[in-house]
Amino acid sequence: MTADRLATHGLDLRYGDRLVVGGLDLELPGGAVTAVVGPNACGKSTLLRGLTRLLAPAAGTVTLDGADIHRMSAKALALRMGLLPQQPVTPEAITVEALVRLGRYPHQKLLSPWSAADQAAVDAALARTGTDVLRDQPVDRLSGGQRQRAWIALALAQDTDLLLLDEPTTFLDLRHQLDVLDLVAELHTEAGRTVVMVLHDLGQAARYADHLVVLKDGRLAASGAPADVLDAELVRSVFGVECRVIPDPETGTPLVVPLGRAARRCAVTA
Amino acid sequence: MTDVRDLPRAPGRPAARRVHGPRRTLLLLALAAVALLALIVTSVAVGEIPLGPVVALKGLLGLGERADVVVVQQFRAPRMAAAVVAGLGLAVAGALLQRLFRNPLASPDVMGVTGGASFGAVAMLAAGAPQALIPPAALGGGVLAAVLLGAFAWRSGAGVTRLVLVGLAVQAGLSAAVNFMVVRFPTELAGSALQWTTGSVYGRTWAEVGAAGGAVALALAVAFAQHRRLAVLDLGDDSAGALGLGTSAARLQILVTAIALASLAAALTGPVAFVALAVPHLVRFLAGPPTAATLALTGLAGAVLLLASDLVAQYLLPVSGLPVGVVTATLGAPWLLVLMIRQSSSVHRSAR
Repeated sequence: MTADRLATHGLDLRYGDRLVVGGLDLELPGGAVTAVVGPNACGKSTLLRGLTRLLAPAAGTVTLDGADIHRMSAKALALRMGLLPQQPVTPEAITVEALVRLGRYPHQKLLSPWSAADQAAVDAALARTGTDVLRDQPVDRLSGGQRQRAWIALALAQDTDLLLLDEPTTFLDLRHQLDVLDLVAELHTEAGRTVVMVLHDLGQAARYADHLVVLKDGRLAASGAPADVLDAELVRSVFGVECRVIPDPETGTPLVVPLGRAARRCAVTA
Repeated sequence: MTDVRDLPRAPGRPAARRVHGPRRTLLLLALAAVALLALIVTSVAVGEIPLGPVVALKGLLGLGERADVVVVQQFRAPRMAAAVVAGLGLAVAGALLQRLFRNPLASPDVMGVTGGASFGAVAMLAAGAPQALIPPAALGGGVLAAVLLGAFAWRSGAGVTRLVLVGLAVQAGLSAAVNFMVVRFPTELAGSALQWTTGSVYGRTWAEVGAAGGAVALALAVAFAQHRRLAVLDLGDDSAGALGLGTSAARLQILVTAIALASLAAALTGPVAFVALAVPHLVRFLAGPPTAATLALTGLAGAVLLLASDLVAQYLLPVSGLPVGVVTATLGAPWLLVLMIRQSSSVHRSAR
């Protein structure tokens, strides 16, 4: 599969004077699940904002299937790529269905009425995320996990091949984290979407991603299949944590096990 | 993120919440339309020569006896129409601004727009310009106020509190300028002083109502066409941008629409206080979260409030000749206080 390839070429992203991402050359495979990991403040979320045109590059380009996204119209890009921000703003008292309907915005012209296709996309998004029973509930009264699924439904109603999720599991308990990640996996395997997500948990990233992008200080530390990339050396150099990487007893994917406190002390002084 | 909203709520509230919805809004829309119609008929029926409601309604439509038609169409209807147009414009402008800035205090009177519009209109009058130039001059004044506001409050990407405070300063300064010019008006213009300082619909003519009314209708159409963008903007800049909305341009367009609505209304009536501030709150309180239908309801409610206030000012108060602005301010101030106290816990919800 060659479509939906996002790539960056010499990308610099700045907030004011501060260079957050510098000289990044990145190639994200189409038709796969990519996880972006790295320590706090390494530029993961900034990278996602740069990939979606929310932040203009200070230098370099971002391309989607070879075309510069900053030369595309905002709506044209919104038809190909959806984003769930890290902390989306839920309008007061909006219902789940009303929220998800807003995902159809890029498909609508200024005065075009709500169409059957719009409603079908909304119904499909609600069904896939299991939020159809909640459709008349106000979003701000849902649990964290339900709310996150409603927001994912909005991005699904946008009906894009490419979906970017910024820490979709933050603030959720383990079960709801797994619910969201399972949903992402289904979106990939059943609906054929390309997913790029920022994750914190290395084990989850290794389990759910086909491709891992590891950032440190706004630069690429490593990228590739989790089994090829994730080893003790990488975790030490990127996160500063001494660990063992063993095969996950359930899935065989790499599992990061930090060394015990005493062993880590020794490693630091050694 | 565990905040207040994740805590369990008192029983009973969910049921009260669920009543809000499209059906309730439709019912309220129908009620507001009936109330507006009744007020329109009343306002053209009462006066020095009282007419029956049917006679008054026929007169409004140009039917019936010639003398009644003249009384209704020439003397009473322009004032009524001015109140309706200004009420619509002010209330919708207030709703747009409050939603755009996510702040219940944002409204054209607090932000200096109606003051600027009055300033523009009075400056034109003082210069002896013809009536037809008043609406564009008011619009210019409203934009001037907004530019002043932007220059002082927005320069450093400042917060909404600063915006409101600077708006109050702009409003106060422009009101002072209006008062200064009105005091120095030639005697033949002194009669319109009340309109520009307090807000009044006294002595409006069809020419004025027609010019401002047409422009308000156009601005209302633009406002409703932009409603979908407003709803997307509610999701915050990142989500709205990812949905393909140019957030800065959309904000500016909605802001200009709101300024135009408020300025054109003020061109007709002067700075009538509290309609733009209080009506959107009232509608939110009655009809729940904002939709296109509640925006329409806000417009109708603004027209109802302004027309009813004018009737109260004309006929129900012992002091005659009070401008409508005094009544709306007297009604609006305590009402707003009550709302602020009741809602103080729920106005600042933004991040999920």
